[in-house]
Formats: sequence, C-alpha cells, structure tokens
Amino acid sequence: MSVGPYNYSYIFKYIIIGDMGVGKSCLLHQFTEKKFMSDCPHTIGVEFGTRIIEVSGQKIKLQIWDTAGQERFRAVTRSYYRGAAGALMVYDITRRSTYNHLSSWLTDTRNLTNPSTVIFLIGNKCDLNAARDVTYEEAKQFADENGLMFVEASAKSGENVEEAFLETAKKIYQSIQDGRLDLNAAESGVQHKPSQPGGRNTLVNDQTASKDSCSC
Amino acid sequence: MSMPPLPVTSNSQELGDSGQSNVLGKRLNKIFETRLDTDKETLEALKELSTFFTENSIQSRRNLRSKIEKRSLAINEEFLSAFTKVKDALDTVYNDVVSIDSEVRGMSMHLQATRAQTYQLIEHTTQLQAQRKKLSMEQEVASAFLERYQLSPAELTVLHGSTRDSPITPVFFTALQRAQTIHSDCRVLMQSGFQTVALDIMEQMSLHQEAALERLYRWTQSHCRSVESTETAALLTEAMSCLQDRPVLFKYVLDEYGSCRRAALVRAFIDALTKGGGTLKPIEMHANDPKRYVGDMLAWLHQVIPSEKESLNTLMSLCSKIDVSDHIQQILASITEGVCHPLKVRVDRILSTDATTTILYSVASLLGYYHQIFSQVVPESMLLGTLAEVRILAQNRFLSALQGRVKQHLADRLDTPPPDLSPSTSVSALMSLLKEVLSVAGVADGRPEDITKMVGVVLDPLLQAVNLSAARLPTTDMAVYLLNCLYQMQTTLSLYGFMDNRLERLQAQSDAQLDTLTSEQASSLVANLNLGPIYTILQETSRGPLANVPGMDAASLKHFLVKLDGFLALPDILLLPQISLLLSTIHRNNVKQRAFEVICTVYKQLFAAVHDPVNGYQNPSSLISRTPEQVQELLLGNGS
Ligand SMILES: Nc1nc2c(ncn2[C@@H]2O[C@H](COP(=O)(O)OP(=O)(O)OP(=O)(O)O)[C@@H](O)[C@H]2O)c(=O)[nH]1
Ligand SMILES: [Mg+2]
Repeated sequence: MSVGPYNYSYIFKYIIIGDMGVGKSCLLHQFTEKKFMSDCPHTIGVEFGTRIIEVSGQKIKLQIWDTAGQERFRAVTRSYYRGAAGALMVYDITRRSTYNHLSSWLTDTRNLTNPSTVIFLIGNKCDLNAARDVTYEEAKQFADENGLMFVEASAKSGENVEEAFLETAKKIYQSIQDGRLDLNAAESGVQHKPSQPGGRNTLVNDQTASKDSCSC
Repeated sequence: MSMPPLPVTSNSQELGDSGQSNVLGKRLNKIFETRLDTDKETLEALKELSTFFTENSIQSRRNLRSKIEKRSLAINEEFLSAFTKVKDALDTVYNDVVSIDSEVRGMSMHLQATRAQTYQLIEHTTQLQAQRKKLSMEQEVASAFLERYQLSPAELTVLHGSTRDSPITPVFFTALQRAQTIHSDCRVLMQSGFQTVALDIMEQMSLHQEAALERLYRWTQSHCRSVESTETAALLTEAMSCLQDRPVLFKYVLDEYGSCRRAALVRAFIDALTKGGGTLKPIEMHANDPKRYVGDMLAWLHQVIPSEKESLNTLMSLCSKIDVSDHIQQILASITEGVCHPLKVRVDRILSTDATTTILYSVASLLGYYHQIFSQVVPESMLLGTLAEVRILAQNRFLSALQGRVKQHLADRLDTPPPDLSPSTSVSALMSLLKEVLSVAGVADGRPEDITKMVGVVLDPLLQAVNLSAARLPTTDMAVYLLNCLYQMQTTLSLYGFMDNRLERLQAQSDAQLDTLTSEQASSLVANLNLGPIYTILQETSRGPLANVPGMDAASLKHFLVKLDGFLALPDILLLPQISLLLSTIHRNNVKQRAFEVICTVYKQLFAAVHDPVNGYQNPSSLISRTPEQVQELLLGNGS
C-alpha cells in the first residue's frame, strides 16, 4: 500500500509578531525543534518554519512566518499579515514597553488580516518571573477586552508553547467546521490538501518539522 | 433287487478231482455255518421269492426256474428299455457337448486372437498413458513458466489500456511492476542456459513496458494539473516514480506540470492584485503607496513558494532513484516565470512615477531585500533575473532622482561662503538629504557599493561646488571654510556604515587644509613675535659669536623675550581670528598646537644657542630665564 502523497489535510498560515527581542524566533524554534536557542540573532525580514500537528484527528501543516520586530523591517513584515489564518502576538513579560506596544500591533493586525484571523496573545519569558514587569491579570484583561486568546509562555522552558500554537489551530479548525472561514476564498490562510483515505494510518510522524530559514 | 448270479452250476463245473470231497466238505460247512438270519441278501432273495412263489407245489417248483428266468428276462428287458432311454439322452448330451466343444474351441480361438489383439492395445494404452503423464507434466511446467514469465491477459489489458483514454488505476502499477520483475527474472533464465527465450521475453517485456510507460506518460501529462485532487494525486506520485527511469518523459511531465502551475500562479497573482480575497483588499488598492504595493506583491510571491515546493516534493516523493532537488529548483523557476511580467510591469510603472527620492530608495532597498531572499528560494530563475533588473532600475531611478535634487540644491544657491565661514546652506541641506535617505531604514542591509555610489552622487558635486566657492577666498578663510564643510560631511557620514573609504578621503582633504592653516598660523605667530630674523640668523652656519650679530645682541633678545612673555601669558591673542571660526575643536586645537610647536622649536634652538659659550653671551641664564620645557608647558600644556 503506497503512502498517500499528502500526509495532512490542511495548511494553516500563521504569522508571529511583536517587538524585537520578545522571543518570537525562539518560540518558533521551540515549537518546531523543541529546543531553546539562547543566542538567537535578530530576524532579518521574515523567516519560515513548518510543523505538522493534529487537530480532531486531522493532520494540519502549519506554515509559520516569523517576522522581524525591528522597526526598519516593518515595510517588509507588514506584507506578511495578508491572508494569515492565525496571528501570534508576542510581548515580553519582563519588558513593559513591549506590552505597551501591543495595541499598535493589534491595530496593524486587524487592519491587515481577515476578521476570521485568530489572534493569540503570548506573554513570553514567563520563566523570568522574578523580573516580571507585566502582571498576568492586566494582560489577561487586555486580551479579554480585545477578544484575544491568551497564555503566558516560555520559549526557554517550553511551557505553554505547544498550547499556544495548537489552541490557535483548534480555533481555526472550528471556524472551518462552523463555515465561518471560507476555504474557497483566496488567501483565507488555509489550504485544503487531499490526504489519502488510508493516509491516516500511514507512517506520519507528526513531530516531523523543518525550519529552513527563508530558504523555503 | 440284486439278483445274485447263479454260481452253482458254474462252480460245480470248475471243481477238480483232487479236492472234490474237500470242496464239498467246505461247502457244506459253509452252508451249515450260514446263518440265514444274518445274511441280508439271502433274506431279501427269499422275501422276493415269496412274492411269486406262493404255492409250494411240484408244478410250481418245476416252473420256478423258468419263472425266475422269465422274471429275470423281463427285468433285463426293462433295463434295456430304460438304458435305451438313457443312451438316447446321453447321445443328445454327447452331441451337445460336441457342439459345445466346437463352440468353445471357436471361442477359445477367438479369445486367442482377441488376446493377441488386446495385447497391442494395452501396449499402446500404456504408451499413451506414459505420454499423457509426460505431457501433463510438461503442461504444468509450461503454465508455471508462463505464469512466471508472461503477463496475464488481464495484466496486458491494464497495461495497454482497453481504449486510448482508459484511465490509469492502481492495478496498472502492479502490472507494470510485474513486467519489470519478469524482465529482471530473465537473468535467472539466462543463467540457466535459456538465452534465447530469456532474450525474447526480455524484449517482449521491454516492449510492454515501453508501451505502458508511453501510455502512463500521456496520462500523467494530461492529469498533472490535477495534483490537488485526492484520487489523482496518489496515482501521479506513483506515475512519477515509474517515469523516473525515463528522463525525457519525466522531464516532459514536469515541464507540463510547471506550465500548468505557472498559469495557475499568474491567475492567483492577478486575483490577489485585482480582486483580493474574502475581506482582503486587492493589493493594487495600495498602488499609491509604492513601498506597500511592491512589498505586498513580493511578500505574496514569497509566501506561495513553500506550497509550490511542497506540491513538487509530493509529486516526486517516490522518486528515490534520482536527485529531485535540481528538478524542484528548475520547475520552481519555471512556475514563477509567469508572474515576472505582471510584476515587472507594475514595478516599472511605480518607478516611472515621480516618487520621492526616499520612496525610491525604500523601494530599491525592498527590491534588494527580496532579491536576496529569492536568490535562496529560486536561484537561477527568471524571477530572480527580473528582480535583479527592477532592482537596478529602482537603484538607477533613485540615483538619478538624488542627482536631480543635488543639482537643484547646488544650482539654486551657488553661494559665497558666509562671513562666519560656516558651511553653506547647500552643505547642510544636502547632508540632511543624505541623512534622510540613509536613515530610510534599509530593509536589506544596503550593499556597500550601492551606498558608496549613492554617497558619491551627493558628495562629489557638493565637494566640487564647495571647492569652487572656497577658491575665491583668501587662503586662511578658504582653509577654514573647507574644513568646516568637510567637518560637517564627516560628522554626518560617520553615523553610517560602509563610509570608511569616503571618510578617509575627507580626512585627507581636511589634513591638507589643516596643514595650510597651521602654516598660516605659524607664519603669523613668527611675524607677530618678530621671530623671523632670529630664526633666519640661527639657521646661518658661517657666522661669528651670535652676541655680536646685529639683531641677536642681548638688547634685541631682551626686546623679543618681553614680547614672548606677553604671548606666553595669553597665547590665544595671537591666534588668527578665523581659527575661532573652525567648527571643530579638534581642528582648532590641532592648528593651535602645531603652530605653537613651531614657536617652541625655535625657542629651543635659541635657548641652546644663548647657552652655547661659543656665542659669547654674558650670563645667559639671566638673559633667557625660561627653559624650553617651561615654554612648552605654557603653550602646549603638560608634556607632549
Ligand atoms: N529567559 C528567556 N529568554 C528568552 C525567552 N525567549 C527568548 N529569549 C531570549 O530573548 C532574546 C530574543 O529572542 P528572539 O527570539 O531572537 O526575539 P525575536 O522576537 O525573534 O527578535 P527579533 O527577531 O529581533 O524580532 C534571545 O536572546 C533569547 O535567548 C524565554 O522564554 N525566556
Ligand atoms: Mg526573531
């Protein structure tokens, strides 16, 4: 029995945004490689990573665009919001300024994406609780007021990293199920891929991940 | 019924003379001994006799004998007639037996003959049986052979297709694989000495395979556009795996696939540009914002590539015998060819509008960034070529716009330097223009050669203009003015990277002006202190004791030293007024320092000369009390 050509049924496009140094690239790396990169260089423009996950028995390939937080790349990164199904908005719980900029990130996201885009707020570096500069409660309130999903996570310890990416996918999948997300619309950020009927029990390792920065 | 014979007579006749009495005696004895009641035969005879000898009379006794003989005769006659019957019966039996015998003889003969005949038949049958056994064995071998070395009719139908357009199904691949297996198995045949058969079969299989692959190729080529459909995708993947052994067909299919995807990508690109999707606005909505417009187009292209690459990877996922990465790169390049034209047309249009210098710079920088990105994603592609082209175009458009602005600035006010010798407004203006452009956050770290070029476009004409206007000034003013201009340029440039060369050249120009200025200042000091003649005399070699030389006598020296004291108390009063107009304190100090050093050097010589007894000064220590070190200390500060 041959293995089906596609070992997943959907592709979801994500973007990760937030100030420079908040740990966007580290979160992506932790998610795709399950490793912490302690000396991660600043992202130049955008980088790209993928991983196959499973939601409600469906294999889904996440295509994740990690953007540079540095202001000078804004001209480039703004163009990547277009048609993202999920947006992970990251701040650093030890740097208040990164939290204060959230509303401007949110405005950008709302302006540049679909209304159906799932926005997930991540308070990163929660391993550095001692140096905390933003409380959980106020961030939670911000998230609630703006209808965002929210967790505090750590790219270093891996805490809640998986959850953030998976919860976002679940929400998107729900939107598809509810018909709120029109798969046929171009640039919905979701592509349907035929997976083989037998595909589900074929040898697919859902840990298969690749991160080829930009050289996709 | 036994009728004993009548031995009496015959016995008496047989009696011989010798034993006559004896025999008689014996006879008598025997008779006496005869016990009639035990002699059954006698009893029987008597009983019989009693049936007809009913009357013991003489007559009857006389008749007895004949009566008995008559009876005997009757009995024998009866016997005879009975036996005649038996005989007749026997004769009949005999005849029967004789005829049976002859019959049997005939049958036996027939049997004999038949047996002879049957023997042959049996022989023949046995032979046939043996033959049959052999044949069925052979048949078994043959059908096993056929099964192993030939394709079944069903398989052949599947391979060749019942009609020209019959679809490819999974069994096709099984059959094709069978043909391949048979082909390879022929090696075994070959090794077992069946070369001819093996070669025949191999050729046959090759023909089947060839025909099947040809059919597969046609099917694949016409279905490769449906890689997105569930049933087809798996078959396509398998088809590509089969075709990988046929590089030409493989390439044709990929080319076809490439051109399908190319068309699809162009459609999708145009849709994204003009229609948008869902609630997304079309990219062209932002055509009035060139940065955004170009950025959105390129980001869109960047983001479709992973999916295209993925599909290609899927299509070739079973092609394990060849290195697919080259193919993938080639087809990706071909897929992205279609968008080149619409992209180029749009970028050209943006670049031909009169966008501002900074916008042109941003666009050029953006294009530079994407050129870099795409050189990794689709190297050696037309898209990359297009990007290189529009990037150069943007760069040139930017440079000519910049040139225009520089020209405009310099033409507007080919100004005479201001009285305070500060840099002319055009310098400040052009420096802020340069700053503005350089601080347009280049997304791509601009290439050094581009930056150098751009700086040259601004600086070269500016320097020319500045030099021209400076040339009209007196030396000192010129030097100060140029230094001020250069200083401003240096300060600006030093904030940015890749300026080393430029800064070095500016520094060299500054140094030349500093030298000029230093020598102007030194000359002025020497003149003011009246040090000129003293210096001249000190340099002379053929002279007597200095104390006797006019102008070097003790009185003249005193006069000079008083002046020097005044200078040492307030050194700055003898500085040229323009020195204070130097914007850079470094320049100021540099000129001052080096000019004062000249004074120190001359003083040192003078001090040595006065203290040299040869020169005949009385009491030199009181005449010239300050040591050169003290003078140096006062003029240059401690040390150095
Ligand atoms: N302690 C701790 N450090 C973290 C964590 N995540 C990231 N860092 C550190 O934060 C720094 C910045 O992380 P990056 O992932 O490069 O940040 P970024 O958001 O991608 O930055 P840009 O690419 O410039 O936008 C790195 O030195 C990381 O080691 C975390 O969860 N805990
Ligand atoms: Mg980063």
